[in-house]
Amino acid sequence: MSIEHPTQSNSIVDVLETVLDKGVVVAGDIKVGLADVELLTIKIRLIIASVDKAKEIGMDWWETDPYLSSKAAEQSTEALEKENKELRQRLEHLETKMHNHTYAEKG
Amino acid sequence: MAELLYLYGVAPAGKNNEAFSDLMGIDGEHPLFTIGFEDCMAVVCRLDESDYGEEIIEKKTKELDWIQEKAFHHHETLLKLRERTNIVPMKLFTIYQSQNRLSDVVQAHREDWNELLTEIAGKEEWNLKIYCDPNRLRGNIEKNHPDVLKKREDIAGMSQGMQYLQKKKLDGWIDQVVEEEQLTFSKQMHDTWNGWADRFMEKKIWKKDVTGKTEEMSWNGAYLISSENVETFLELVTEANDRHRESGWKIEVTGPWPAYHFVTLAKSEV
Repeated sequence: MSIEHPTQSNSIVDVLETVLDKGVVVAGDIKVGLADVELLTIKIRLIIASVDKAKEIGMDWWETDPYLSSKAAEQSTEALEKENKELRQRLEHLETKMHNHTYAEKG
Repeated sequence: MAELLYLYGVAPAGKNNEAFSDLMGIDGEHPLFTIGFEDCMAVVCRLDESDYGEEIIEKKTKELDWIQEKAFHHHETLLKLRERTNIVPMKLFTIYQSQNRLSDVVQAHREDWNELLTEIAGKEEWNLKIYCDPNRLRGNIEKNHPDVLKKREDIAGMSQGMQYLQKKKLDGWIDQVVEEEQLTFSKQMHDTWNGWADRFMEKKIWKKDVTGKTEEMSWNGAYLISSENVETFLELVTEANDRHRESGWKIEVTGPWPAYHFVTLAKSEV
């Protein structure tokens, strides 16, 4: 028996029809004018469907493109910082070596 | 900065104010807390008016991602609350200007809410949807329905011109039988389930562009069931699914939900 709590994209209908549709228990002070459930669900579902579909056919390049994804941007900055640090260390190492070498020649 | 109160639901009194402080509110910043009244308590979180004032919400509701996120937060929070307390769930975006305003509303409805709390105590809301693959259903009827077989036999004995006309007529008739069969099947299923439920509410049947499914929805209902009957109820659903899958039926059951569909105050709305 599969008993699911609807949290997946495919049950967006279940959630919206329930938390938005009819049967207001009591009205709040703030009036919220939402489009009707039907329209809203169709729109939201279309967005989800298009993202899922895009992923399915491998069109998820934006997730790794720093111009479009802050996560990707963070990752690439981190990588650059790391590379930078490594290069500095190597440079330092070389400089020390060179210095010692020169010193040894003179001495 | 002015503060608003977001009301998730009303629960029986008896928990301390911090009982749900491990749950984060709808703005992701303020935790939940409770405000106690004589015999019930309001489960709320604070909101900054600068982020959740009427005008701002009005603007925000045009952002689909935002609505979706908030709707799921509301829903998931009430699922968690429901595991810990009996609760009359509110709809999305039930917001009050001040604690005084909220108190007024709670005081005005206290009796109704206590009645509702008693009514839904020890019960669970389950939602059932029946989906149907109309092609499979149609194929079945074409192949097996005795009236169809009989009519087809009659047609075979007719002149060609007549055959054409009668075949068209038969097609239309089969469409009708398919539709009737959907109603009959749903009604039959519902009657069985309803026998185990304390209350029932019929919900809207959504079209395919809403559900995003290839099957057609032919039934949508919410059932309030005593906890001790839930197991039997779910067994009935599983059994029906197994028995009718081949003929193109699929029953989808979700729950337990907060008793959203059984807490409407018919008498008074503020």
